[in-house]
Parts: sequence; C-alpha cells; structure tokens
Amino acid sequence: MNEKRTAAYRASVTVGLVLAVLTVIEFFVAIYLPGDPAILFLLAIFKAVAVLNYFMHVTRLWRQEEGH
Amino acid sequence: MSAVAEQIAAHGAAHEDAHKGNALEQLRNNRMGLWLFFVSEAFLFGGLLAVRFYLWGLTRPEVNQLIGLAITTVLLVSSLSMNLAETAMEHGDRRTFSIGMIITAILGILFLLGVMIFEWGLFPAIYPAHETPWGNVYGAVVFAMTGMHALHVISGVIFIFIVWNLGRKGHFSPESHWGVESCAIYWHYVDLVWIFFYPALYLIGTAVH
Repeated sequence: MNEKRTAAYRASVTVGLVLAVLTVIEFFVAIYLPGDPAILFLLAIFKAVAVLNYFMHVTRLWRQEEGH
Repeated sequence: MSAVAEQIAAHGAAHEDAHKGNALEQLRNNRMGLWLFFVSEAFLFGGLLAVRFYLWGLTRPEVNQLIGLAITTVLLVSSLSMNLAETAMEHGDRRTFSIGMIITAILGILFLLGVMIFEWGLFPAIYPAHETPWGNVYGAVVFAMTGMHALHVISGVIFIFIVWNLGRKGHFSPESHWGVESCAIYWHYVDLVWIFFYPALYLIGTAVH
C-alpha cells in the first residue's frame, strides 16, 4: 500500500514538473520568437492534454470498471 | 438450519453486489454530469478567447511578463497540491489530504490576490493600474477574461474549504470520495482554462504601448 502511494505521489510530481518546464519554455518562446503564436498554442495543448489525462482523469469516463 | 443460513448469506451477497453496482452506476453518472458541465463552461471561456483574438488580433497590452509567469506558477503548483491531496485520499492518507487541500486553497487565494493587485490594480499603493475595464478594448478584454476566471477560482476555493472541512470531520474514504474527486477535477479545470488564458493574455502578439 505504501509503495503504491509513493508511486502515485511520484507520478503527480513528475507531471507537475513537466507542466512547469513547458510553462517556462512558453515564457522564453514568447520572448525570443514573439511573432509565432503556433508554438505557444502547441505548448498550451500539450499542457492541457497532460492536465486532462493525469490530473482530471478524463479516461475514467469511458472505463466501465473504474470505481473508487 | 444450514440451508437457511446459506440462503441468508446468498441473499446478503446478492444485495451487496446490487448495492455496489448501484454505487458504481451513480459514480459514472456523477462523472458524466460534471464533464457535461465543463463542456458548457468551455463555450463560455472559448467565447472569451474568441473575443480576445477578434479584438486584439496579434497584439496585446503592455504587461509585466514576470508577474504573469509568477501567478501562472502559483496556479500550476496549486494543481499539483490538489492532485496530491486527491491521491492521498485515494490511499487513505488523511494527513496529506488535509495539508494538500489547505495548500491548494492558500495558493488559490494568492493567485486571486495576484490578479487583483497586478492585473486589476485594485491597490494602487502597491502596484498602479495599467488598464481599466472601460478604457479601451485591451482593458475590457483583460477584465472580462480574468474576471470570469477569478469567479471560478473563488468558487473553487469555497469548494475546497467545504471538502476539507468534511474530510476533517471524517467524511470520505478510499472507497467513497466523490466529493474530493469532483473538487479536484473542478480545480484542475480552473487551471486548464488558465493554460489557454495565460498565453492569450500575456504571451501572444506584439505589446501595444
């Protein structure tokens, strides 16, 4: 149980770190490539997919057996 | 006698299975309802984004980039602490759940203060306002987008305090914690909206003086 819990916490922190890195990349892209919104949109979509999948558990909607 | 006992046990097991099945069905319906609510909200926030791109095009107001990054980081970290709190409840770790919820609420309030002070300029002694809602299209859009988002942050913080208080009183368990799950998903939705609002408000386009 403890190992499972630690693994779950570690996964959360990893996703958080990935989101932080993508946010910093966004910041520097806006500074060094100011005329290119496409990259910023792409980065925002990557971040949104990570949040939807790992934090909001969207896949639970279509997994029939998924309970608490 | 033993046949009667077996019958009672079988009946009890069947009743328990039916109860579990109903609870799972209810949980699925709850999740579907919450996500349908998010779809309806997406029209609201999508409309605001459309307004931003229609009125501003590839321009944006002059804003402090570091402040934008700072308040975005605060909201991002709050999403992480909320996820840790939810994970804690899933594993029966009530202490981490409580700490995670409180940290999330504090970070949510910090984010709100950041918006109120630096975006809206409500405290000119600390930071002077650079836009007003009635000044021009830049101010109008900034206030519309951040205002609507802030309303959701406020309701999210209230939701967090309610769920934290229920958890403190012993509600929720690893087997049954829809209240915690829905609160967490709602908070992440608030973060998800900001993932698109942050580049739209702060990063995309040339700054107009």
